[in-house]
Amino acid sequence: MSGSNTRNTEKQTAVCLEIRDVVKQFPGVTAVDHISLEIQEGEIFSFLGPSGCGKSTLLRVVAGLENQDQGDILIAGKVVNALPPYKRDCSTVFQSHALFPHMDVAGNIGFGLVERKLPKAEIKERVQAKIDLVNMGGMEDRYPHQLSGGQMQRVALARSLVLEPTVLLLDEPLAALDRKLRKEMQVELKRIQREVGTTFLNVTHDQKEALSLSDRIAVMKDGVLLQIGTPAEIYETPRTRFVASFMGASNIFSGNVVSASDGKIKFQTEEGLQVILPEPADIAFDQISGFSVHPELIELQPGNVDSLAAGSAEDMLVEGTIQEVFYLGDFSEISVRVNDTETMLTIYQSRSCNEPDTRIAQGQPVVARFPAGSMNLLVG
Amino acid sequence: MKKKKRIAQKILWVLSILTLIFLWAPMILIMVYSFSNSKYGSSWEGFTLKWYAKLLTNDQVRDALMRSLIIAGVTVVIATLIGTMTAYGLFKLNFKGKQFLRTSILLPIVFPSVVTGGALLVFFTRLVHIPLGFPSIIIAHIVFCSPLAVFIILGRMQRFDWSWEEAALDLGATPFRTFLRVTGPQLLPAIMASAMLIFPWSFDDFVITYFVSGVGSTTLPIYVFSQLRFGATPVINTIGTLFVSITMLGMVLVYFVQKMGKSSTT
Repeated sequence: MSGSNTRNTEKQTAVCLEIRDVVKQFPGVTAVDHISLEIQEGEIFSFLGPSGCGKSTLLRVVAGLENQDQGDILIAGKVVNALPPYKRDCSTVFQSHALFPHMDVAGNIGFGLVERKLPKAEIKERVQAKIDLVNMGGMEDRYPHQLSGGQMQRVALARSLVLEPTVLLLDEPLAALDRKLRKEMQVELKRIQREVGTTFLNVTHDQKEALSLSDRIAVMKDGVLLQIGTPAEIYETPRTRFVASFMGASNIFSGNVVSASDGKIKFQTEEGLQVILPEPADIAFDQISGFSVHPELIELQPGNVDSLAAGSAEDMLVEGTIQEVFYLGDFSEISVRVNDTETMLTIYQSRSCNEPDTRIAQGQPVVARFPAGSMNLLVG
Repeated sequence: MKKKKRIAQKILWVLSILTLIFLWAPMILIMVYSFSNSKYGSSWEGFTLKWYAKLLTNDQVRDALMRSLIIAGVTVVIATLIGTMTAYGLFKLNFKGKQFLRTSILLPIVFPSVVTGGALLVFFTRLVHIPLGFPSIIIAHIVFCSPLAVFIILGRMQRFDWSWEEAALDLGATPFRTFLRVTGPQLLPAIMASAMLIFPWSFDDFVITYFVSGVGSTTLPIYVFSQLRFGATPVINTIGTLFVSITMLGMVLVYFVQKMGKSSTT
């Protein structure tokens, strides 16, 4: 099985949600194409991918709002395929928060508890606890149209959490909020999850959100699972071309392995650049189709190769000319054209107090140094 | 420039007031004369309430009024019910001929009432043999009132956030409870608005009712028409005043119900 499974048996946590070979088709498109995965109790798991990749559909299948064509959904070990959404032990926070406009905050949060026919006193108590948890104290009597976007999202969260579901499903809950609010809510979400310990299944198209929020991420495209791993694994070692570029590793080189010896392989790119990389443990040589490098790892030095300071023999050095410099405040995005080719490199240079950036200018000849550890192998 | 604007505004005011007077003068005259102590109800000869008192003792008027009220009442209930269910189905379901159905529902309102009345009369007497009287009138009223309900409620549904229903299901409510606690209350203002509009439509209807009422089933509008043949009498004025008052009351209620509905939606 996959590496993540062995890690889990070490930790002895239960699998709280299992998606088994699920297929969901709509006329003309397969939204979910044979996806299987297991989500651990207490973790924040994110489905990450571009619009239309099937992540929301998959979430709705788990919730019971859509029915899959094939495969099973198991919540806490029980197959729930035949159960309608009101009988499944999961709760959804919608992107449009979907608060009931004719009920106040307390009424909204207590909705599910009323359906469970709990005594009024208990409902009041549990609702109050959740109101405090999401920092909405004092707003019990407000109506949704009197709340801001962030407040509505918190009420939606409380409304689902008060039912103490096995899994909390979040369908791009922060997508409708502005950037600053989104960041605040991300912090809130993480805090709340740590406090209640419920498993969160989050769907998002925002890489940064997935990285900062999740314990594990599954990257999806066109209904297929491309890679599952921790945020660091997904970001630093993307396996496919798509995952790499989606995570911002915008420098992607195609090519193949030409020789191998002493635990190293020699890789030649389509442009004719040669680089020596450590032999990968888990990939066959003929599967390696290229490598990716994140823009922030590349070092730029003016001049050409000869004028360079010493570096490791396994660094890759590329001569090029600066095409454009985009000043973004905390860092600058520099695009460099590799000499004698059409290849463009994207490099991030952080702002630093040490040296003035007067040497980086359009048209300047530079050497891009790709440090030994910066090149990540891609398959497929 | 500002002066021109002010003059234009003043002209607009004058025109508006003149138009209102033109529209309301006949109505106001009738209402005033209903309190007038004159034999033919067409001039002012002192204040009196005797015509209203006479109205209360007039059996024919009372019968006609009751009949109109019953018909309107039943029509309101059934037409609103049909309207709600139709709107729900049209909105949620997709089936062959949906567009055709949706357009054809408009027809009873769009057709001239004479055409609808004539067609319904043929339908009741030749095709289906429904007795002329309460059954035929009520069915006819439902036919031309339901479309109104359909479109008012459908319009409301299009401004609906249907994720409310999904959220309710997700939180543990069965489809029935969802309608009871979430969809229904949200639709209620629209349902009430259509009820309030259907009532005067049915109560005031003359043409179609005239066609399908047969003998002996006089509604209030038909009674008034038959009385006009004998020339103006004060009774007409009182009935006219009643008509206007009831319809105005309905409009006022619609206004407040819709206002209520607006404040409970985002």
